[in-house]
Amino acid sequence: MKKILAILMAGVLTATAFAGCGGGGESSNTNSGSSSKSGESSATGVNASTVDYAYFGEEDNVKLKVWAPDAAVNLVKQQIEEFKKAYSEKKFDITVVAQGESDAATQMLNDASAAADVFSFPSDQFNKLVDAGVIAPVAKGFTDFVSTSNSEDTVKAGTISNTLYAYPETNDNGYYMVYDNTVVTEEDAKTLEGTLAACKKAGKKFIFDAGDGFYACTFAFTAGAKIDGLEEDGTQKFVEYDEDAAVKTLQAFAKLIKDYKGTFTSLNVKNVASGFKNGTCGAGVDGSWDTKVNKDSLGDKFGAAKLPTINVDGEDKQLVSMFGYKYIGVNGSSKFPNSAQILALYLAGEECQKQRTEELGWGPSNVNVQKDKVVTESPVLNAIKAQAENSCTQVNIASTLWTPMGNLGNKLVADEWKPDDADATRKLLQDTIKNVRDEG
Amino acid sequence: MTYVEYKQLNPFQRFAHNFKKFILNIPHALASFFKAIGKAIVGFFTGIGKGFKNYGVTFVKGDWATKLSYLIFGIGDIHKGKYYKGILFFLTEVLYALYMIFFGWTYLQKFNTLGTVETTQDFNELGMPVTVYGDNSMLILLYSVLSIVITILVFAVYIANIKDAYHHQVMRAEGGKPTSLKHDVKEFLDGKYHITLLSFPTLMIGIFNIMPMIFMILIAFTSYDQQHLPPGTLFTWVGFDNFSSLFNFVDSATKATTFIELTKWTLIWAVVATFTNYILGMVVALMINKKGIKFKALWRTLFVIAIAVPQFVSLLLMNQMLQTNGAINILLSYFNGGVNPQIQFLNSTTLMARLTVIIVNLWVGIPYTILSMSGILMNIPEDLYESARIDGAGPVKTFTKITLPYMIFVTTPQLITQFVGNINNFNVIYLLTGGGPSTEQFYQAGRTDILVTWLFNLTMSSQDYGLAAAIGILVFIVCATLSLLIYNNSKSMKDEEAFS
Amino acid sequence: MIKSYKLRRHIANGLIYLLLIILGIIWISPFIYLVMHSFRAEGLIAVDHLIPQQWTFKNYIDLFTGVGGNASINFPRWFLNTFVVAIFSCIISTVSVLMVSYAFSRLRFSARKKFMNVGMILGMFPGFMTMIAIYYLLKAMGLTGTLVALVICYSCGAGLGFQISKGFFDTIPRALDEAATIDGATKNQIFWRIILPMSKPIVVYTVLTSFIGPWTDFILAKIIMGDNLDNYTVAIGLQKMLHNDFINTYYKQFLAGSVVVAVPITLLFLKMQKYYVEGVTAGGVKG
Repeated sequence: MKKILAILMAGVLTATAFAGCGGGGESSNTNSGSSSKSGESSATGVNASTVDYAYFGEEDNVKLKVWAPDAAVNLVKQQIEEFKKAYSEKKFDITVVAQGESDAATQMLNDASAAADVFSFPSDQFNKLVDAGVIAPVAKGFTDFVSTSNSEDTVKAGTISNTLYAYPETNDNGYYMVYDNTVVTEEDAKTLEGTLAACKKAGKKFIFDAGDGFYACTFAFTAGAKIDGLEEDGTQKFVEYDEDAAVKTLQAFAKLIKDYKGTFTSLNVKNVASGFKNGTCGAGVDGSWDTKVNKDSLGDKFGAAKLPTINVDGEDKQLVSMFGYKYIGVNGSSKFPNSAQILALYLAGEECQKQRTEELGWGPSNVNVQKDKVVTESPVLNAIKAQAENSCTQVNIASTLWTPMGNLGNKLVADEWKPDDADATRKLLQDTIKNVRDEG
Repeated sequence: MTYVEYKQLNPFQRFAHNFKKFILNIPHALASFFKAIGKAIVGFFTGIGKGFKNYGVTFVKGDWATKLSYLIFGIGDIHKGKYYKGILFFLTEVLYALYMIFFGWTYLQKFNTLGTVETTQDFNELGMPVTVYGDNSMLILLYSVLSIVITILVFAVYIANIKDAYHHQVMRAEGGKPTSLKHDVKEFLDGKYHITLLSFPTLMIGIFNIMPMIFMILIAFTSYDQQHLPPGTLFTWVGFDNFSSLFNFVDSATKATTFIELTKWTLIWAVVATFTNYILGMVVALMINKKGIKFKALWRTLFVIAIAVPQFVSLLLMNQMLQTNGAINILLSYFNGGVNPQIQFLNSTTLMARLTVIIVNLWVGIPYTILSMSGILMNIPEDLYESARIDGAGPVKTFTKITLPYMIFVTTPQLITQFVGNINNFNVIYLLTGGGPSTEQFYQAGRTDILVTWLFNLTMSSQDYGLAAAIGILVFIVCATLSLLIYNNSKSMKDEEAFS
Repeated sequence: MIKSYKLRRHIANGLIYLLLIILGIIWISPFIYLVMHSFRAEGLIAVDHLIPQQWTFKNYIDLFTGVGGNASINFPRWFLNTFVVAIFSCIISTVSVLMVSYAFSRLRFSARKKFMNVGMILGMFPGFMTMIAIYYLLKAMGLTGTLVALVICYSCGAGLGFQISKGFFDTIPRALDEAATIDGATKNQIFWRIILPMSKPIVVYTVLTSFIGPWTDFILAKIIMGDNLDNYTVAIGLQKMLHNDFINTYYKQFLAGSVVVAVPITLLFLKMQKYYVEGVTAGGVKG
């Protein structure tokens, strides 16, 4: 045994010694990239999305990786070519990798050092990224320019304890109502009752994903239980709300769902586009990311509106949704932190945002682009904008929010749920809030 | 019960008798199990004591080279002419020293705190953000485990080196010569062949199974969760907090309820899934293998295709088919006068969802049972059936009185493997229902979630690593105890050499 | 009496045929559904009819040429990756399983039972938590994102699955070994020259089970590969096609891809079925 142990150990040690060389010192590396020659430029700050070479510090032969959602990869590649032209004195090697924005934080947390230097992500991932220390804040000299050139909401949502942590990219990360305008008229689309009646009349479905907390939180929000940031220890806070009124609203939802059983269907949002395509769906609640495929499926029949209202005790209540933004962030462990900041600034700049709006239909966060014709004349972006005014911001969200909210939705649409049972509804609401707050 | 009495029982009664004996035996087996563990611990420490004694004695009796081996590995062997081994010993020491100096020690010294230096973010004179990474608790823990395991192994080499040096010293004193490399190699191909065979797999398992496992066990005693995420924030040791939150109905009632309820359902699921698969699979296998049934290969093929489609594909497909707009509801609408019945298979009532999961699991599992049963079924002694037929037993009776007891008796180990497999059956639950239907009474889990899928949710979506590790350990203890007990008491283990 | 017995048997067999036909249809129908819809031209994800209305090869063509999709989906490459990984991990796995089970079955050494018990329970540890550890161990070796890492992951634990093949070896009469030993054969020679040639069923069984692994794992592989799209396996790739960003465009290609993965494995299984049954039968009873 001992002989073999000796041989064996030699093997292990060679392997691990290798390991030692490869990964050594990883726990305490500093990514300063500091030691610059010119200090003065930082005091003044920048006023365009391209900046002085001084900001690069000593970085050259820059190697960067960018994560963009699949649909945007080609456009981002073009924009990076422009970026290289703008800084022709420096050498760049920039790769663009398709990476779903919804997975960005997970991937960053798995191993930030293998992740992208510049990446886009939705606002609800902020807390995770900042807590884990994997995202670098926006450069000081850029902050003022970024703050003034983007809409106030996006900047506010990106600011945590007075530090702006990422570059706002879009102002559209939410859902709205899409409908087939041969089934649902613009007038019908104003109320949930009208929409459902129109769909039922045409024998088509209204699709809403009540099992997904992202959509299902609409029930709680509309009822008044809106989220309001986080407590010190990271639990979700809610605004003060009138529980009796909230219960009534939830009951109204449940009753409507029951009355329109067969029309109101809870399915994954991906079924909206499929439903339009095969003509089984009259209207649905879907997000800005599916706008293109929904338009393709419906063609001229495409209609978009903010979420409808629901009638509670004779009063029309506007549905309140979850609404967020997308940002471009810089990896805290980037080997070229200065260049990464400059690239992020560029990609989040006015010109790039405008291109994305034109080619991909993304709603810009840049105030100038927001005034542009592409935005103001787009029915979808207008619907999103109108809905944004009736929404909770998707930032400072505890990860415990989604599951209980999804459950609330599931319960309301379940066949065996009794809309008349006020006590059960109240209990459900209380349990949901309790669960989100992880209490007892 | 005497042997003669036992022999007079019919197979079913025999099975019942054996089963009863087995159940009655459990406390005894448990007792001896823990006794064995106790013995092992005592043995371990007396071993250490003995080792220290030998260590001293050898030093006193050793010549200069043996004595020097206490400091420098392999000197004794080299001095006595056993060069290759001495050099290997020596290399081990050198590599270990290099490893510790350049890698291991940086992590190991922080093992008790898991790091104290916090990560800070600041801006440099250019106004560019600078992240100064502090200690990474996770890497400290992982690489400390690595270093500790390596140290233990090197210590074993160290002791082997001393023993070997002394052994060769004695051998020389008696006029012997160390064996040649050629001789040793030959020995490894014959007398010590087990070492040759087992060392490579053991090495692989050691690095990629055991080490990560120790890491995970240690995580259960730390505060690694969504508020303590490396590299930005440190986590540290918290003792048994994660375990107690699973049983604390006062402070963390939801977690405790979830744990208890999911444990119940996991056990129900494992029992029902195992036995339905087993019995129904056997029935189908019997039908296919019945004399006079033609196209046996065709029937088997139909079932085997279900195995060949990757499980995540077939299960995701099933998930789609079971939606309210899915294929099953469309199919049912043909029997329902063209109206889609919109049955919510997966996310309305608990019972419906659980039944659906169990039925789909039959679809997944029965083909495996058919494959593994076919051969064994044909081995059942024909005279058993013969005599049953003469007694006028029908097919149902022959099945329950002969086939089933015989099969259970023969395949107990397989049943246990399947039972444990079902406790850890991630795919079916995760891909089919995703844990749904949801409930407000559980923490991050739904009505069909079993413990492993909950564990997965905890790590992947809410980053509760500490809690997840604690659950993992509990699941492991249950599975391991159960299977150790049953294997070591099963027939096949006891008469291992029956055929030989 | 004889006549009625025969009649009863005919009725019984008829019933069995009927049942088998029904069950066969139930078992095969999801697969048929999969194949049919992989040729579907209309619709995106869900359709409201069971049988496609328009048939096309486009899904398959697009899958392999990447036409009509995005550059980040590279199915042929992924297929090749998986094939390579499967081949290598299957070789290593088979060798280690056979080595371990032969040692446990044929050789007698101290701590054998302890080793077996430890080996048995190690495989029962829920793997999700250990994945981060495995990732960082591989990273320390500089292997993350590579196919080598996958081969290591899929074959490293193989030795733990020794039960079935040990059971099989147990059934081979010991007298053979003894005779060979008397003739002067070493244990090494016995293993290679006597036991292995008799173990075709169990070798095939082990090869089959370890070959299939890489085609189906989508969790560990995803963590190891991260964003390295070029080294994805089909399982992660197919999973990726169902991601929210992709599903509307790629759902039908996903179905086609599933068929492409399932067909070779099915054929392999059908061809090797006999040995699989033999191996698992002999091993299962004893293991």
